[in-house]
Amino acid sequence: MQLKNKKIAGLLSVATCTLLGGNAQAESETWDIDSALLIYNETDRVSAIEPVINAKKDLGDDEILSMKLVLDGLTGASANGAVPSSQPQTFTRPSGKGSYTTQANETPLDDTFHDTRVSYSLNWDKPLDRNNRRNLGFSFSREYDFTSVGANALWSHDMNQKNTTLTGGLSLELDAITPVGDTPQGLTDMDDRIRVSSSEDRTLLDLLFGVTQIIDKNSLFQVNYSLSQANGYMTDPYKIISVVDSSGEPAYYLYEKRPEDRLRQSVYGKYKRQLDNKDIITTSYRFMSDDWGVRSHTLDLTYRVKMENGYFIQPHVRYYQQSAADFYHYFLTDTQAIPEFASADYRLGEMTATTIGVKVGKTLSDKHVWSVRLEMYQQSGDSSPDEAFGQLQNQDLYPDVDAVIAQFNYSFKW
Amino acid sequence: MASPCEILIETDDAELARQLCLSGQREARRIEQKFSRYRDDNIVHQINQGQGQAIDIDNETYRLLQFADRCYQLSDGLFDITSGVLGKAWRFDGSNRLPGQSQLDELLCTVGWEKVEFNPQYVRLPAGMQIDFGGIGKEYAVDKVLTDLKQHCDREIMVNFGGDCHASGPPAQQGAWMTGIENPLKPGDAAEVIRLARGALATSGDAYRFIVANGKRYGHILNPKTGWPATDSPRSVTVAAGTCTEAGILSTLAILQGKDAESFLDAQQVKYWCYR
Repeated sequence: MQLKNKKIAGLLSVATCTLLGGNAQAESETWDIDSALLIYNETDRVSAIEPVINAKKDLGDDEILSMKLVLDGLTGASANGAVPSSQPQTFTRPSGKGSYTTQANETPLDDTFHDTRVSYSLNWDKPLDRNNRRNLGFSFSREYDFTSVGANALWSHDMNQKNTTLTGGLSLELDAITPVGDTPQGLTDMDDRIRVSSSEDRTLLDLLFGVTQIIDKNSLFQVNYSLSQANGYMTDPYKIISVVDSSGEPAYYLYEKRPEDRLRQSVYGKYKRQLDNKDIITTSYRFMSDDWGVRSHTLDLTYRVKMENGYFIQPHVRYYQQSAADFYHYFLTDTQAIPEFASADYRLGEMTATTIGVKVGKTLSDKHVWSVRLEMYQQSGDSSPDEAFGQLQNQDLYPDVDAVIAQFNYSFKW
Repeated sequence: MASPCEILIETDDAELARQLCLSGQREARRIEQKFSRYRDDNIVHQINQGQGQAIDIDNETYRLLQFADRCYQLSDGLFDITSGVLGKAWRFDGSNRLPGQSQLDELLCTVGWEKVEFNPQYVRLPAGMQIDFGGIGKEYAVDKVLTDLKQHCDREIMVNFGGDCHASGPPAQQGAWMTGIENPLKPGDAAEVIRLARGALATSGDAYRFIVANGKRYGHILNPKTGWPATDSPRSVTVAAGTCTEAGILSTLAILQGKDAESFLDAQQVKYWCYR
């Protein structure tokens, strides 16, 4: 439309309000609200529904307060760690009340898995002077058998005409775990139901150092290093490991047991570029290594295509690969000595995972944005490892996990 | 502000009036010193001398840039604060000298708001480019002074900087502020007296700054896309709007619409006075 017929007076009036409304100290009248609903569904296993609300307010002079509320509803079944057998297997529920039976040749899944999690976080970002900012945050999370409180502080320093930003941060988290049916004694027979306490705790300390470099008007590069130390109870009180006899059939089950320390280091690099046609490409890579023997590589790529009328479409690919923890075992045998630590939790096993998805969204007038994300996740490992023998050779010892993720987002001013 | 400025307050309290006027004058001087293009000790000078480097800015400068950005977008590029360099080619002194097209083409290479990078922390102009808040500075000063004064006074106030004015509300006695619009054909005479109860007026035009060449009149408001003034523009456009800043932008854009000035203003559904 030609300018002579275009009505701009209304929008001009809004722009003028922004110009004059702000005295230097004025705070913005509105909150920026980002709402999302995430639906995660594993085939035959866990489903989760997760509404998220993120509210952000500019307090004036670039001082920003943000709050986040996440609700998480989980239902479904989760692998308990035991190997499949040619015979049906019966397991006592973690509470000690009742039992569940897994049919022959099927992966044992504990179907008592359901929980609701609520978590809140609060962040306060404030410039200290022209080149320094600090961010303080607090978080709280609660679910049926788990409570967590955390605090973090992040400092960033701009230099080199604000083309380079150095970041340093520290975060501390305290967790309390109160397992259903109390804490089992690690590596004891499930049927003996030996309990050591009603609650456990752990602390996590994270240090972060980062550099962000603006390369030119359209691109930036970021590198982060983080060091994370966890101490305390890190065992999953609901996971077990099968001890098999000479034919590969389960003789009994032990509760798993993990070390009480974990030191993790990771390096993360990200490159982001806006192309001449305004499309945005983001690539990132993370390498993680810990003293449990887990090493992982994550490659992530998104490409955002700007379309007509405010629409955008953003394909996403992610590839993840990890090696197994030193104490990961598909199973133990009844002739071997019981190791100091052992877990058959598939999340600690050797695996690769691929995520492929697409996000479509539209920017409506005045910063209202909606988007929909749809992704497919597939995780796989070695289903027939060399150490399998007897009946185990006929079983899938590392079943694939397939999941679909759908997310709806709506951002607006309030 | 290079023009007569006045602050009118209806009050019996002479001391209050004096204080408010002084405080308004201080604020107007502050804005002029900070954003005038004709000084070498302010932020605009630093930005213009940046040679492609990012220059740190404060919140007020950021908001003015943000506003200029919005106006650029809303006007499809007709309002562009980087277009001031085009003035180098033109001498609006009543003479008949037109610039050469090659000179304009060369200057046009250094015009284009879309080449400017800015955020709340800094602004970066490509080397050779300049910004000029002349198109919004005075109107912003009028609105800003009025807003500031109203925080310290519950009387109605009228701020008038060289004909661009903004009233907070009607004076109790007269019911409206009597404001004259100058007739560009008869400078010095009020062509029409407008009763302004509240709101703002701003005028754009070529009453004093123009060239007549080859029988055509060229006003000083240049189209940033062509480097030339619009032809067949009204001699003067006065717009009434909620704030002086809005009125100023609309009157400037109307001039650039040439013969379509009135249809543009009709589409904006604002009150206006055009003199041709």
